[in-house]
Amino acid sequence: MKNYILFVLLTVIPFTALFAQDEEEKVKDRPVRAPFASGYLIDNQTTMIPIKGTLEFAIQHKFGTIENGMSDFFGIYAPAANIRLALNYVPFKNFQTGIGLSKEKMNTDLNAKWTILEQTRENTIPVAVALYGVVAIDGRNESAFGTGQVWHSGEGRAVFNMNFADRLSYFSQLIIGRKFGNALSLQTGVSFTHYNMVERNFDHDKIGVHFNGRVNFSPQSSFIFNYDAPLNIQQISEQLQVPDHHQPNVSFGIEIATSTHAFQIYMGNAKGIIPQDIMMWNSNKFNFDNLAFGFTITRLWNF
Amino acid sequence: MKKGKIKFLTYPLVVLFAGMLLAAFVSPTESTNMPENWDIPAKYKEMKNPHAGDASLDRVGKMLFAKHCKSCHGNIGLGDGPKAASMTAKMMPFNDPKFQAQTDGEIYYQSIIGMEEMPNFEKKILEEEDRWAVVNFLRSLK
Repeated sequence: MKNYILFVLLTVIPFTALFAQDEEEKVKDRPVRAPFASGYLIDNQTTMIPIKGTLEFAIQHKFGTIENGMSDFFGIYAPAANIRLALNYVPFKNFQTGIGLSKEKMNTDLNAKWTILEQTRENTIPVAVALYGVVAIDGRNESAFGTGQVWHSGEGRAVFNMNFADRLSYFSQLIIGRKFGNALSLQTGVSFTHYNMVERNFDHDKIGVHFNGRVNFSPQSSFIFNYDAPLNIQQISEQLQVPDHHQPNVSFGIEIATSTHAFQIYMGNAKGIIPQDIMMWNSNKFNFDNLAFGFTITRLWNF
Repeated sequence: MKKGKIKFLTYPLVVLFAGMLLAAFVSPTESTNMPENWDIPAKYKEMKNPHAGDASLDRVGKMLFAKHCKSCHGNIGLGDGPKAASMTAKMMPFNDPKFQAQTDGEIYYQSIIGMEEMPNFEKKILEEEDRWAVVNFLRSLK
């Protein structure tokens, strides 16, 4: 734990010094041009939020894993697909809110993103900072949860009936991003995931770190990647030993952006699409067999 | 189906088909979107380009053109992008002397404010500097 605190401090302190230095500058410094082409970056969010009044429709799809090769054409025909349809709207400058439906666990998610700081051209603000939060409702039939009876942590062996709150899960994330020149934009983040109800050998809470970015190789195309690592921290674990079934999510792909669309096609080892699902339930180790194809399409309308 | 019933259907279909065929000849043919087709307010005509010749914006103009304009106007602005075929208006190539003879303000109006099939880009290209970067790039396509 001490190491983590040290890591966070070492990351933050140099930036605070930069802020202090530049506060005296009076010339109006404008935000950098398009650090990212879209608010989505495979499984993550970017600090980019479109102009106020924008409505975004997103289609996210993940096929089955490629392990069966030609028999299901590398997962394209596999039944284990996941899809999410979402609408996002920007009611205020740099604040976006949205709703999405995904097939996995019949999740309905409500989310919000606030870009608190935008990186500026003269480095008055050297990084972009955003907060992202998601609340999801597991909408499956009660029969999907076994007997419908739950134990409450810390309340012994007493049995309770499952209720609505047991279906809720939360994800909150702090994202810090920086555009390094015209070709490279990187982001890092830290997140907290909480599930109101988990299986007995899981923890309710998970802290994770995120690292993702894009490398622009033509005016419209970029290479994009994600790395999301759930951390095994014994101090917050409810188990005697931190369960090792949380696997990092690694995904990489290509993004093509046009005036109103962004297309991302990628491969990754997590089946989940919403972030808490990825941070809590991804048990696919990163290896060739566990990779699956996926794509994201977004469409923007301005009002 | 009875024979009489088929006849009953045949005649209206023949008439409809013939009508559609004739309509194809009388419908207005595609028109090139020439400068004279644009009704540009005096305010825009007289606008001065504050960034004319600013080489630092070359890349910005090129990137914005690729993102917002290329799909219709084509790689080098000849009006031959992938979406061009589905448009009613024929786009004027940017290397056309008539296009280049316009003022920067006129090109700004055509590019950013738009008309009919040419969309408005005020909410897509937010900054004045970036809008002029597009105008500068269009100037480089002569």
